[in-house]
Amino acid sequence: MSANLERLVEIALRDVLDPEIGRSVVDLGLVYAIHAAPDGSVAITMTTTTRGCPLAGFLKEAVGFAAGAVEGVTAVTVTLTYEPAWEPAMIAAE
Amino acid sequence: MPMASLSRWTMSYFAAALALLLAAEALAVAGIGYPAAGLGEPATLVLVHLVAVGWLSLAMAGALLQFVPVLVSRPLAFPSLALPALTALIAGLLLLTAGFATLGGWIDAPLDILPLGGASLLSGFALLGLMLVATLLTARPIALFTRFVLVGLACLAATALSGAAFSALLSGRGGWLGTIALLPEGLPFHALLGLGGWLGLIAFGVSYRLFVMFMMAPEPPARDVRPVLLLASLGLGLAFAGLAAPFAGIEPGASWVATALALLVLAGLLYGRGILALYSARRRKALEINMLASIPAFAALGLGLALLPVAVIARAGDGSIAALVFLLAFGWLGGLTLAQLVKIVSFVTWLETYASRLGRGPAPRVGDLVAMPRTGWWFLLYYAGVAFGTAALAIGATGGFRLSMAVCLAGTIGIAAELIRIRRLSQIKAADRPPAHERPRLFAARAEERRPDHVHTGTIAHPRA
Repeated sequence: MSANLERLVEIALRDVLDPEIGRSVVDLGLVYAIHAAPDGSVAITMTTTTRGCPLAGFLKEAVGFAAGAVEGVTAVTVTLTYEPAWEPAMIAAE
Repeated sequence: MPMASLSRWTMSYFAAALALLLAAEALAVAGIGYPAAGLGEPATLVLVHLVAVGWLSLAMAGALLQFVPVLVSRPLAFPSLALPALTALIAGLLLLTAGFATLGGWIDAPLDILPLGGASLLSGFALLGLMLVATLLTARPIALFTRFVLVGLACLAATALSGAAFSALLSGRGGWLGTIALLPEGLPFHALLGLGGWLGLIAFGVSYRLFVMFMMAPEPPARDVRPVLLLASLGLGLAFAGLAAPFAGIEPGASWVATALALLVLAGLLYGRGILALYSARRRKALEINMLASIPAFAALGLGLALLPVAVIARAGDGSIAALVFLLAFGWLGGLTLAQLVKIVSFVTWLETYASRLGRGPAPRVGDLVAMPRTGWWFLLYYAGVAFGTAALAIGATGGFRLSMAVCLAGTIGIAAELIRIRRLSQIKAADRPPAHERPRLFAARAEERRPDHVHTGTIAHPRA
């Protein structure tokens, strides 16, 4: 059930597109982890391409919004981290 | 998680910078300044300062006010000083150029406006320096990027101080300097510190960081970046010593200038190699207009740096030196600035307009705000003007230079018009534009409305049921 919810959240996050590149935060490797608890609460750990990115707050909110819209999700916690720092090698192959 | 906000007055800095570039180009088209006048004549001084202070320095200042907080993840210190600094800089430049016009006999005004202009510029740059240094020093540890900006700002202080002293000398108020001969010996050092240190070195440091973001390239290794900073700092330190030498009774000769220049050239060549590596290692294969239009700027840097020492060693005439300095100022610094303005203006405009829509449905991409390929054609025109202008200066073709500057002017007008169209969201379908009262203002960002309070919250809950 939790694994299924995590998969559904990941699919939903594919609709959150980086406005520069036009690729999703998942494809860009910005989403480090998605954990769903049995009660439907979801914890997402993500990063931005650089510290202090002016988009950081907006991306974080967009990820929370998209995950919260998934059927079965009761609460979303989004945490920004810079450990490890994002690097271009994390981008999924096209 | 601290989030850098939008710099409210950056667009005003850019608008003033572009207006002054257009003014300088129009004067050059009209045949005012070098090569119709001598290198040290008032007409040339007007043109040089309109470009160096009006265009390049204001654009650099506006960009730093936006990006220094982003790059060190700290809010801008003393943001309310941004507008007073801009006012002091514009007023200072106008007074200074009016002073040069008085020296040239075109207008009849007291020569005291020269040091008044110098003092106003000094205070404007001091306010700018205060904001930037206070912001940079709040971030620990001091990053390599920060060191580039700090050394550049130290050079700005030396350039502005020496410029203020020169303006006092030119107005006949330099008695306090006694017999110390700052002019004309100090001029090459003043130019090296301004163009090489404040504008050049900071452009080096900022581009390392921004290009990594713009092209999704790996960070350049510190072992490749440090030698650039070290060599440039040595060269600029030597230039500063050359400026201060007369106070110790030492007369810096041509070899002093040549050594400082050689160190800067070496730093520039290493920097160029690093930038080439960033372009090759990028993950973002399709280059955006800002990175495409920067390529001729780097070509100008490479050519200028390779030929300048040759011209100095071969004791080539004023024409060759002027041509290479023009190539570096208009081709490298000017071209790079124009190219990155397109990116900065479109990104800031997108942030103001569409950032809050992120993840909530379709929204235009940042690149959709820029009219392509039209913007590219304007850059082509601008760079064609620079190339012909460089050649015209080298062969001493005064008429050819005026014609080239007309081509540059046409390209610049086109780019400025595109920047206005970006702010007005002209490329976006009417249905995707916000209501008129919510659209970006031309000259000031809606900074206070874009500091979302959700940034510090850890939990966002949107239960469906």
